[in-house]
Amino acid sequence: MSVGGTGPRAPAPAPIIDFHDVTVAYGRRPVIWNVDLEIDAACLFGIIGPNGAGKSTLLKAALGLVPLVGGRVRFFGQPLGKVRSRVGYVPQRETVDWDFPVNVMDVVLMGTYGRLGWFRRPGSRERLLARESLDRVGLADLASRQIGRLSGGQQQRVFLARALAQQADVYLLDEPMAGVDVRSQEGIFRVLAELRAEGRLVVVVHHDLRTAAEWFDRVALVDMRLVAAGPAAAVLTPDNLRRTYAGHIDVLEELGQAVAKRGRTP
Amino acid sequence: MMPFDIAYNTLVVAAGVAAVGFAAGVVGGLCVLRKRALVGDAAAHATLVGVACAFLITGRRDLPMLLVGALLSAFAGLGVLVLLRRFTRTRDDAATAIVIGVSFGLGIALVSGIPAWGYPDSAGLEQFLLGHTAAITARDALLLTGVACGALAIVALICKEAALVAFDAAFAAAAGWPVALIDYLLVALVATMVVVGLPAVGAVLVTALVVIPPTAARFWTDRVGPMLLLGGAIGLVAALAGVVVSAARPGLATGPLVVLAAAVVFLVSFFAAPSRGWIARRMQQARLSRTWNLAADSSPGPASGGPDC
Repeated sequence: MSVGGTGPRAPAPAPIIDFHDVTVAYGRRPVIWNVDLEIDAACLFGIIGPNGAGKSTLLKAALGLVPLVGGRVRFFGQPLGKVRSRVGYVPQRETVDWDFPVNVMDVVLMGTYGRLGWFRRPGSRERLLARESLDRVGLADLASRQIGRLSGGQQQRVFLARALAQQADVYLLDEPMAGVDVRSQEGIFRVLAELRAEGRLVVVVHHDLRTAAEWFDRVALVDMRLVAAGPAAAVLTPDNLRRTYAGHIDVLEELGQAVAKRGRTP
Repeated sequence: MMPFDIAYNTLVVAAGVAAVGFAAGVVGGLCVLRKRALVGDAAAHATLVGVACAFLITGRRDLPMLLVGALLSAFAGLGVLVLLRRFTRTRDDAATAIVIGVSFGLGIALVSGIPAWGYPDSAGLEQFLLGHTAAITARDALLLTGVACGALAIVALICKEAALVAFDAAFAAAAGWPVALIDYLLVALVATMVVVGLPAVGAVLVTALVVIPPTAARFWTDRVGPMLLLGGAIGLVAALAGVVVSAARPGLATGPLVVLAAAVVFLVSFFAAPSRGWIARRMQQARLSRTWNLAADSSPGPASGGPDC
């Protein structure tokens, strides 16, 4: 399934991300089945689906954090190993120990380690970059605070700042809006929109249907398989949503609201 | 031996054990941050087999050779640990306990059996159980110091990478860092520190020298670098205290004294450290509830009586 296609077979540039027939399994239990997805334009791209649909696994598969049972993922037409410095990553906030003895600045500086390479320590250039990144997420005044003494939203923005310090062309974010206060959500969304305006691709795993249509230019609906992908308005149809969320009774209510809201604003 | 020689020997041994204590505290800091505190324990308990085997092969009680044997068997024990986890789906804690128990049982059987089998010069192998600094020569101490300095140099090199992996392994892997390699390097460092700590502190207790100092240091600081250095300093002080006291009271083994000294520092840190210590947190909580109560008293409307803490 191609998203934002560029017409007939001209010497088209390679898509920014190309999932080809990707299958992932944890043990014998398949989590992602035969996903084909090309993203070939800088945009805000949402990966939407119910809990346990394998959204995060799809990101991890792209980053080589979980082994593929089948298929392959390419960035800019190349395997990830060749273009790592162009790919930034924001993991889920709960995956780290926030009592770790580092301050906000230390964490953001970790974004510069990839370019620094082995043994070299961050210097004044890296510190400047980290400061700018913190500034962009509105945390410049908390640079020396221990990370355990931040709110959930601030922690998420620190992770975003670390990714900004990676200076990547593609950003993959795993549930950046989960458990985050509204003000931080808006701040994060503003930065993501800036990244898009700079011509970067931003892929976001997201679970909240209500905000999906409003935030993302393009979306992929995932429920172990790829249900649909394309421009948000074209994909987030009642029919597609029903196919994605079939069997997830808990979200039917939410679904109804989302559909009703979209019905009012053509 | 002349009194001067005795004094010289004691000084060199004390310096060597202090260096080992410092390096163990620093390396242990990275290990604790990576949440692998028990790796050192598994390695330590596996060392006795190597000590015994090295003695059986060389027929002499030559410390460098015994330590080489200890290091090899520590790696073997850790290798078994990895295999257990990977191929039998045994959980981490159970696999560690199995390696500790089995390797230690085998080690004890060998160490206690060797004298009975009539090997000359075999007395003293059991000193590797609880540590015995009096048996260390100046030459051995220099070797221990050298290894400790080597380990410190490696930590200085890879501190950035190790801290990154310890904090966020998924991010590190996504950015292309070889997480498994860095982990293996860290485990190898810990095993090495355990082995050079063996003569002074002994197989049973040496893991405490890797775990207690950095854990105590964590109370005083919120940064990785200071925590590692402070952990090293605590390890150094504990090691020196053990050596001095056991030298003054020849009946006491060094290992338990070192561990007790470290435990005292830990207790003081736990209670007295600013901000993370028990007393500081209690006082902060009291201040907080006082402010809340004041606010509740002065504000009109439904008095909630402040938070219930």
